[in-house]
Formats: sequence, C-alpha cells, structure tokens
Amino acid sequence: MIGRVIQGRTLVAFAAVLFVFLLGLSLVPGYGSSFSIRAMLVLASLLAIASLGQTLVMILGGIDLSIPFMIGFANVVFAKLYGDGAPFLLAFAAVMVAAGLIGAFSGAVSASLGIHPLILTLGVGTMIQASVQIWTRGLPTGSAPPFINEFVSLGGSVGPLPVPWVVPFTLALALVTLFVLARTTYGRRLYALGSNPAAAKLSLVRPVRIWAVTFAASAMFAGVTGILLLGFTGSSSAGVGTPYLFQTVAAVVIGGTALIGGRGGYAGTVAGALVLIELRTLLIGLGLSEALVQASLGAVILALVAAYGRDTHVRETI
Amino acid sequence: MSVASAVVLRRSARFWRSRADVWLAAGLFLVLLAANLALSPGRFAPANWGTLLGLMSPLLLAALAVTPPFLAGRGAIDVSVGPLMGLINVMIVQWLIVGQGLTSPFAIVPFAIAAGILSGALNGFLAAFLRVEPIVVTLGTFLIYSGLSLAILPSPAGSVPPWLRSLSGTYSFVPVLIAVVAWLAMKRTPFYELLMSTGSDDRAAFTAGVNVPLIRLLAFVLAGFFASLGALSLTALIGSGDPAIGPTFTLIAIAAAALGGVSLAGGVGGLASAVIGAAVIYLLQSMLTYFNVSTFVLQLSYGAVLIFAVCLNSEKIKLRIGLGERRP
Repeated sequence: MIGRVIQGRTLVAFAAVLFVFLLGLSLVPGYGSSFSIRAMLVLASLLAIASLGQTLVMILGGIDLSIPFMIGFANVVFAKLYGDGAPFLLAFAAVMVAAGLIGAFSGAVSASLGIHPLILTLGVGTMIQASVQIWTRGLPTGSAPPFINEFVSLGGSVGPLPVPWVVPFTLALALVTLFVLARTTYGRRLYALGSNPAAAKLSLVRPVRIWAVTFAASAMFAGVTGILLLGFTGSSSAGVGTPYLFQTVAAVVIGGTALIGGRGGYAGTVAGALVLIELRTLLIGLGLSEALVQASLGAVILALVAAYGRDTHVRETI
Repeated sequence: MSVASAVVLRRSARFWRSRADVWLAAGLFLVLLAANLALSPGRFAPANWGTLLGLMSPLLLAALAVTPPFLAGRGAIDVSVGPLMGLINVMIVQWLIVGQGLTSPFAIVPFAIAAGILSGALNGFLAAFLRVEPIVVTLGTFLIYSGLSLAILPSPAGSVPPWLRSLSGTYSFVPVLIAVVAWLAMKRTPFYELLMSTGSDDRAAFTAGVNVPLIRLLAFVLAGFFASLGALSLTALIGSGDPAIGPTFTLIAIAAAALGGVSLAGGVGGLASAVIGAAVIYLLQSMLTYFNVSTFVLQLSYGAVLIFAVCLNSEKIKLRIGLGERRP
C-alpha cells in the first residue's frame, strides 16, 4: 500500500512538471524556446544534485539545513585553492573530504545525542559560513577550471544533444541513486531506520553510523553543487547557496518524500526540482521583480505542498 | 533552623530542580555578566538600564516568539519570526507613517499586533489543519515575508514618531512588560496545560480529548503576537524601516531559546528560558562588540552557542550526569 502511495506521489510530481510547463507555454512567450528549456534543465540539474543529500536525510527522518552553507563553502574554498595554484584533483579532494567530515559530524552528533538535526545543522552551517567569510575576509577570489565552465555551460553540448554534460550526469546520478536505494543494504537500512528507528536498532542497524554516512553524503553533494555553481556563475561567493535552503526542502517534499521518514525516493525529488525551476522561470517571465518572485514562489510552493504533501492526522498515529 | 526557613529552602530547592533546563543558561549569564561588568562598568549603570533593555528587547521578544511552537512539539518550529518582524517594521514605516501619515500609537500598535496574529494564524492553519510540515510552512512564509518586505521598501528609509522612538529608551520596558504579563496570564489559563501536554505527548493528549490541532494553531498565533511586539521594539530601536534586518533575528532567537533549554521535542521550557537565553546572547554580543570583532565573528559565535546549547541540553547527556528525568 505504501508502495502505491509513493508511486502516486511521484506520478503527481511528474504530472506537475508537465502542467507547469504547459502553463508557462501559454503565459510566457518564448518559454518553450530551446534556450529557455536548456537553461531550465541546467538549473534543475544543479538543484537536483543539491537535493540528493536532502532526500537521503529526509528518508532517514531528518533534515539538513546546512546544505546552502556547504554549497557556499565549497564554492569559495574550491575557487580559492584552485585560484592559488592547487591542481584540480587536489582542490576537489580537499573540499570533498572537508565537506564529508563536517557532514559526518552533524549526523553523528544528532544521532548519538538525540538532538534534532534541524537545529544542529543550522548551527553547523552558520559556523561554516562565518568561518569561510573570516578566512576570505568577505572578499572571495579565484575561479573554476575551464572544463567545469564547459560542464555546466548553457551553450554546451553532448555529441548531438544540445545540453551540457551536467544534464546527462544528473540523469546517471539519479539512476545510481535509485539503484542504491532499492537494491543495496545501505538503501534498505536507510528506509528501515527512517520508518521505525527502534525496530531497525533491533535488527542491528547502527543508527549513528548510518546518520553519519548519510549526512556526509548530503554535505558532499552540496559541495559538488557549489563547485558546479562556480563554473555556472564564473565567480565565487559565500552566499551563492542561500536560495537552496528552501528549494532543496521544497523539491524533496514536492517529490513526495515526507519529513517523518521512511518514505519517498529520488525520482520524485528530480520531478520536484524541475517543477521548482519551471515555476521560477515562469514567475520571472511574467515580469515580477526578484523580491516578488521570491514571495510568490514561497506562496505557490506552500499551496502545492498543501494540496498533496500532507502529513497524517494525530488520530491516525495512535 | 526554624520550620519556616526549612520550608523556604525546600521550596526553593524544588523550584530550582524543576528548572534544571535553565541552569546552564543561568550559569553562563552570571559569567558573561561579570565579564561585561569588568570590561565596561559604565554601560551597566542603572541610568542606562532603559537603553540596555531597548537594545535587548527585539531579541528577547523574538526568542519568546519562537518558544510556543517549540513547546507544541512534534517538530513544530516557526522560522518566519524574524522576517515577520521585518515585514511589520517596513509596513509600519512605509504604509502607515509615510503612506497614510498615521503616527498615532492607536493606529500603529493595533496594526502591528493584528498583522502578527494574522501571520500566526496563517502559519498555524497551514501547519496544524492542512498538516504541512511546520518547517516547510515557515520556510515558505520566511520567503514570502522577506520578499514582500523588499518589495515594499527596497532599501532602508523613513523615520518614526517620538513616542515610538522612546520605546527603545525610557519606555523600553513597555513591550517587554506587555509580553511578560501576556505570558503569565496565558499560564493561568487551561490552554497552557493543554499546550504542554500536547508538546510532551500529542497522542496521549489527543486520546485524553485535547483538540491537538487547535492547540498547535494557537501556539503559532502566540508566536505571531510576540513577534509583533518584537517588531515594535525593533522599529523603535532602528528608528526607520529596514527590509534586511528582520530575517537575521530567526537564527539568534532560536539559539537563545535553545540555550535557555527549550527543546524541539516539545513540552520543555517557557518564559524564563527565553528571557535568560536572550540575555546570554545579548551579553555575548555586547562583549564581542567591545573587542571590535567583525560581524562574521559574531555569526560564528551564534552558531557555536547554538550547537553548544543543544548538545548540553540533550536528554541523553543529562541522563548521564544525573540531571535529567528518565522518560519511558
């Protein structure tokens, strides 16, 4: 029965992708142009990569609010290391290891001390962002290697396909994630721990280890997003991840993964990311100012989630 | 020892044991107060108390505002408190004062409180009745309010009437006093017990006949009410409209409440926790500002305080050092 509900929600999310696209076509001239579709695919890919970790964390019944700060961290630190002459692989490895350790810290502390990850990741994220700002004195420098720019460039192409490499990369990532969630012990343990922590413990799932690994993965995918964003925007900024705070949570929830854990999957999140980017493009296309785009996006997402992303009533939980 | 003093001792021991949650913050408060007094004794002279309270009250009221949803439990949280304060601030300055020329307290105060209660009712309705996760709801309203604030007033501007300005100086105690009286009055109503029971175990409360969704909704309404008082204090303090300042209050308000021992698990904490948590954050702020550190260092310290506070208030650690109560 639960299987059918997830399917249902994922299908609704993909139906929403189609619906918003048709809405955009009818309201905004040029919405269906190849440039606009390409831009939406690239932005949705970036959001989907950032939301991958959020999906895993939410299946576990947690939430990771440090994602935007980890994006900013990777963005600035990678640019600075690479700009100061470090080879690409070294800079990349350094950022990934640091992000992984920070994420593992959040996950392990949350699980072992029984602290809600919402508060803990908010605190960790704030500290990371402040440290990055102190390190660069608020003036980040550096840039991305040219092949990263090419990887996310709006004009890029993959053989005959007119999309940059980041789009097929995200698709491949999605397939791997679906496989990991459905067919590996890690995936099974994740769902087990998310749906019933006490029962999972009795079947010898070690919560602290799974939480640490999952939060580390979340921080590392945020790091990848940060480095790709560096290629996309061209210059680094500690605040580049800010919109991703709400958008990763919203993409996951629209995709049918509930915050109470044990339910959902990554396919829905990809649909959620597409819906969000389509909506954003639509609102910008309607000529709203940046501030009003932000406000209406908040309102539309709330309406969308209220329509089908609802929790169970307390009477159903007894 | 006389019987009377033994009774007093026993009572005060019970009083302190029941407030084990605020011990940590109370200890920190004393240490930081001593440090602040040693660094700049003049700042804390009685003549400056009004100004000091005025500086502290937006944070204090924001911390009080995030508390009721936390008390309601099951992940209830209101992160929209900061942007709501900012939105009320720009609406007062740009719509009422600049737009309509309304400067009377009888227009501004009811407007602010109505806006706060309306926002609380909206958050509460979405979270408790439409059953959208509270963090999703209030992150959504966080975006809406900060976007609207920027749309209403793109950059800091405007000024406030003298009576409002005095709320950050001589009369700074007024919004705080209203909040404290409102809290103590609320505590005498059955609502308080229902809120605490909902937060401790909503399923047990529901089977006992408590209207759990209504109680959760009212917790968000209370948050909106305290945030509106915070908005008045904030407007008095900065003396203008500023769309950027509100959202910054969310993090420090949550840090203050967590430091005071309010738990996201629900049913733990109250007025004392919010007040003492806010006082600690304020003293920390004031000490760091004395050393002329950058805002980044301040931000770093807020994050550190938040992590430190939630770790030390963790039930598991308390059990280990024998402070906490064992819960089934």
